[in-house]
Amino acid sequence: MGIISVEQVDHLFWLGRYTERVYTTLKVYSESFDRMIDESEDSYQGYCDSLDIPNIYESKEDFLKRYPFDNTVPDSIISNLSRAYDNAIVLRETIGSEALSYIQMSIYAMNNASLSDAPLIDLQQIMDDLLAFWGLVDDQIDSKKIRNIIKAGKRIERIDLYARLEVDKKRLEREVQRMIPRVLRSGMKYDEVSLSKISSLINDTNLDYEKIILNVEKIVM
Amino acid sequence: MKNQKLVQHTDRINTLLARYGVKFGIYKNNTFKEQLFPFDSIPRIIEHSEFEMLEKGLKQRVLALNLFLKDIYTKKLIVKDGIIPEDFIYMSSGYMAECEDVIPINGIYSHISGFDLVKGKDEEWYVLEDNLRVPSGASYPMIARDLCRKSSPETFHRVKLMDNRNYADLLRKTMDYVNTGGHTVILTPGRYNAAYFEHSYLAEKTGAHLVTGAELFVENDTLYYISSNGSKEKIGAVYRRISDEYLDPMNFNPESLIGIPHIFDVFRKGNVAIINAPGNGVADDKGIYYFVPKMIKYYLGEEPVLKNAPTYLPFYDKDMMYVLENFDKLVLKDVAEAGGYGVVFGNTMSKQQKTDFIKLLTSEPRRFIAQEVIDFQDLDILDEGEIVPRKADLRAFVLMADEPYVWASGLTRFSRNPDSFIVNSSQGGGFKDTWVLSQ
Repeated sequence: MGIISVEQVDHLFWLGRYTERVYTTLKVYSESFDRMIDESEDSYQGYCDSLDIPNIYESKEDFLKRYPFDNTVPDSIISNLSRAYDNAIVLRETIGSEALSYIQMSIYAMNNASLSDAPLIDLQQIMDDLLAFWGLVDDQIDSKKIRNIIKAGKRIERIDLYARLEVDKKRLEREVQRMIPRVLRSGMKYDEVSLSKISSLINDTNLDYEKIILNVEKIVM
Repeated sequence: MKNQKLVQHTDRINTLLARYGVKFGIYKNNTFKEQLFPFDSIPRIIEHSEFEMLEKGLKQRVLALNLFLKDIYTKKLIVKDGIIPEDFIYMSSGYMAECEDVIPINGIYSHISGFDLVKGKDEEWYVLEDNLRVPSGASYPMIARDLCRKSSPETFHRVKLMDNRNYADLLRKTMDYVNTGGHTVILTPGRYNAAYFEHSYLAEKTGAHLVTGAELFVENDTLYYISSNGSKEKIGAVYRRISDEYLDPMNFNPESLIGIPHIFDVFRKGNVAIINAPGNGVADDKGIYYFVPKMIKYYLGEEPVLKNAPTYLPFYDKDMMYVLENFDKLVLKDVAEAGGYGVVFGNTMSKQQKTDFIKLLTSEPRRFIAQEVIDFQDLDILDEGEIVPRKADLRAFVLMADEPYVWASGLTRFSRNPDSFIVNSSQGGGFKDTWVLSQ
């Protein structure tokens, strides 16, 4: 692959973002599900607030069923997975049929999980498929530029989600250190000011998560 | 059954085809849906000597059709010599006045040709249709062969076949042969096109760039692609998978949003190869099909190796009379339709439908052809664990570079409906691999 177009760069970047969004939200959803087994209050409201998604759910049960599987809700996990697929399907010749097949399989796995009486167990398959997808990106895509664009999207998304979830400083610091070189090597246009602000914000003793979110969203517009 | 293991794995092969997204798109009630293309692992087997005959006949046909296209858009000798009435040229929806005196690179019009054939119960092969615009379907047997070899390696060790996985190399060679210097791209209307899987798969396998019209532009009679770093990259060959009318809004349909303004001007000046050339529709018109055996004799001085299905042109009074007298035993085809649409069998119409159709036929005789119904051979397919016979055709592909090359495979499509002769995927049909024995 010698040349890539602006459209392809955009699809690669968003493929990275959406696959990461699905992966991390699935992970957090599984942890939250486990917590909600023991609690009486509706902590899902806090989950919606932290991810900045509208709380349209009527109950804990409604949230647990619809947040992963309702494809009419734009912020559901299945909707984000569909967007990952929409970006992947137009990149077959760029990422290869083998890598694309794992996104396709995650769609099938999601549909199966939605019908399952043990969805948490079946949702694990989607995470496995996404991990295999990222493994193939590393293993089979020769172009460093393409790999860096996908991974820049993935790293930016992870920082965005982690900041919203207010993860501890150490974890966030680690992700920022992984994200910056990816963005620099991707060849994409990026906002230098936002990138350097994040580098400095991450050094504060008390993290300002809102500012981190604001700046990470502006790195690649 | 000799290939029992292969057949046993049919479901698993279909699961793998689903994994790789081997689908075709279809619009139903204005909604786009992707459907899996059902695969049947009992192959169509073509003996080596039979393939040699097909190869000879298909090469002959593709050479004659290319000569016809060159003649029609330049000297029109075949019309002047009274072989084909001019009405059949100028009234064809595929004829494009814009292509007059435009000769494509290396004089090749149809680089990739798809011929729909059936084998009659009389053991004779018949050509039912020539497809010289954007014939699709090669990608399906390509990927299916790969998966079948994985499912039953011993079958492929035992049965010596011609390898069909060279299609991408042949296609690349075909595209490179006419490339004017620059990148090679496959132009797709986008992911909501029925054959999008094929577009993207062929791009991956040939190493061509898959592009949409929005990614290309014309400047100073040259076609360019804009890369992400802003550089202009010259394009030397475009394997377009969009139809003529949508190719260039400045020269053809002005409402096209998927074409590239002025690409036809670049082509006309010889600065880019368009694969297949615009204007080919005049040669694969169902009305022109009637004249292909005559073309072979006219241009090549040879007897046709492959037969047409017996065809009648209601345009001629004598043929119209025959069609009206034998209506119930004929199949009637609207020349403007494709994909299994516009095909009606005389014996399936109600009295009223028949009256209405005859009224239409007599008022627009040029619009229809009539053919004897070929009683073509059934092939075995696996239907819910049982082996049953179904109608099947074969789309054979011929690629034209320095010489015509007949791909030693093809797309065998079958009807899943026991009473139907219609095998198109858009009508619910499935597909098989086509094995050509190597000796």
